[in-house]
Amino acid sequence: MLAIYGRWTSTEGSRVKIDVSKESCVGAGQCALVAEEIFDQDDDGIVVLLDETPGAELQPLARRAAALCPARAISIRE
Amino acid sequence: VDEKTRRAAAAAGCPHALAGLPDDGTQLQPSPTLRELRANGPATPMRYTGDQLGWFITDYELAKRALADERLTIKSERFPERQGEHPRANTPDDLHTQMDEQAMESLSAANVLGMDGPQHDKIRRAMITRFMVKAVRGRRAEVRAIVDRQLERLLSLGSPADITSQYARPVSAYVHCLVLGVPERFVEGYVADYEESPFQTQFELVREVVAEKAQNLGEDALSDLLRAGLTDRETEGAAWMLMSVGRDNVERMISTMMVALLSHPDQLALLQHDPALLPGAVEEILRYGNPFLGLLVRTATEDVTIENFAAEAGQSVSVSAVAANRDPHRFDDPDRFDVTRDAFGHLGFGFGPHSCVGQQLARVEIQEAVGALVRTLPQVRLLHAEQLEPMALASPIGLHDTGTVLVEW
Repeated sequence: MLAIYGRWTSTEGSRVKIDVSKESCVGAGQCALVAEEIFDQDDDGIVVLLDETPGAELQPLARRAAALCPARAISIRE
Repeated sequence: VDEKTRRAAAAAGCPHALAGLPDDGTQLQPSPTLRELRANGPATPMRYTGDQLGWFITDYELAKRALADERLTIKSERFPERQGEHPRANTPDDLHTQMDEQAMESLSAANVLGMDGPQHDKIRRAMITRFMVKAVRGRRAEVRAIVDRQLERLLSLGSPADITSQYARPVSAYVHCLVLGVPERFVEGYVADYEESPFQTQFELVREVVAEKAQNLGEDALSDLLRAGLTDRETEGAAWMLMSVGRDNVERMISTMMVALLSHPDQLALLQHDPALLPGAVEEILRYGNPFLGLLVRTATEDVTIENFAAEAGQSVSVSAVAANRDPHRFDDPDRFDVTRDAFGHLGFGFGPHSCVGQQLARVEIQEAVGALVRTLPQVRLLHAEQLEPMALASPIGLHDTGTVLVEW
C-alpha cells in the first residue's frame, strides 16, 4: 500500500487521460457526486468530462469515480 | 471429463444446493448462512421455481461483475424457491392478472426492470434527468420542508409512534410527488392509498395523472416523459414505473437507519456530535442495513463464465446485495455498523445498467429525514422494531421487510 501512496505523492509530472462513454452512461450520477471537479452531468443526466487530464491531486478522485461507476463508463489511461 | 460435464453432474446431484433463500436473518442481522456460503465460494447453486437449478452470488467482486454483465438479462420469470416457514409474498404474476390489456402493453413497452437493450436505454434516459446530482441538490430545501412538516405532524401525534408508517412513509411519498410533479389534487390520495392498491387501480390513477400533466407541463420527471417523444403506452408504462418504484425503498432505509442508530448509541452520539458525518452514515446504512437479500433475478442468455463462476444458458442468477455488502474482502470488519467508514462501493443501489435511477434523490431524502429526527428528538428511544426478528420476505426475489419501528420520546 505504501508503494501505491508513494506513487501518488510522486506523480506531479505524471499524466493520466480520462475517457468517458456517453453511450454506456446510465446517469446514476456517482461520478458527479464523488468527483465534481472532474465530472458533471449534462441536461439529460449523461456524463460530461470537465477535466480530461487531471493533475496528481485529483487522480485519486478520478479513480474512485471510475470504480463506483455502475456502467463502467469511465476509463483511465496511464 | 471436461469442466462443463463435471459441473452438470455436480448440479444434478447437487447435495449442497440451497433449497431456497436463506431467509432466517434480517437486514441488520443477516442469516449466518450467508457467511458460510461466501467462505465456500463466490456463488452457490440454489433451487428456483419450476424445479430449476440456478445460482446465488454472495461474493462482492463476482456480484459486481455479474450485475454489469450483459449476458445476464434482467428478464426473468423465476423466483428462488421458498425456504423456511415464512410465507411467500405475492408474485408479480399474481398482480399482473389484475391488469387490463392496455396496462400490460404499457408495461411491456416500459418496464425497465424487466428488459435490456435499446428499448431499456431509451426509457431509462427519458426518466433520469430530474434525478441527477445537480437537479437533486436544487430540491434539497423543498425536501427539507417536507421533512419538517412530517416531523411536526409526528410530534403532534405524540409518543409512542411508528417511524415507518407515521414518518418514513409520508416523507418518501411526498418527495416522490414533488420530483415527479404529481398534480396537487392527486397527492393526498397517492400518499394514502397508492402503494396498497391493486396494479389496475394504480394504472387508472397514472392515466389520470398523465392526462392532466400533459395539459400543464412543468419542471418535473413526469413532464420530461411527456416531452421525450415516447408513445402513449411507453409514457404510461414509464409513469407507472416512476410512481411505483423507489418510494418504498426510501421508506425502508429511513426506518432501518433509525433502528440501527437507536440500537448503536455510540454511533448515534457520533452523528449527533458531528452532523457532517451524515452523508457517510447514509452510505453505511445502505451497506450495512440493505434489505435486498436477493436483487432482481437475472437469467443467463448463453453459457456465462466469469472467472471460476459458470452459469449455463437459461439458468437463473440471484445476486445477494446483503451478502456482498458484508464481504470481508471488500469491507473491513463488515458486521460492524460504523458511521465513520467509507462505505461507498456498496451494492445498496445495485450495479450495472439497472442501478437505481433515483439513488441521488434517495440519499438526500434519507439524510434529511434521519438528520432532522435525531436533531429534533435527541432523547428518542427504540421501544420495538419488528425487523429485529426475521419477518416474511416482502418480495419473493428476497427482500427483508421493514415492519413497524416503535419509538418513544
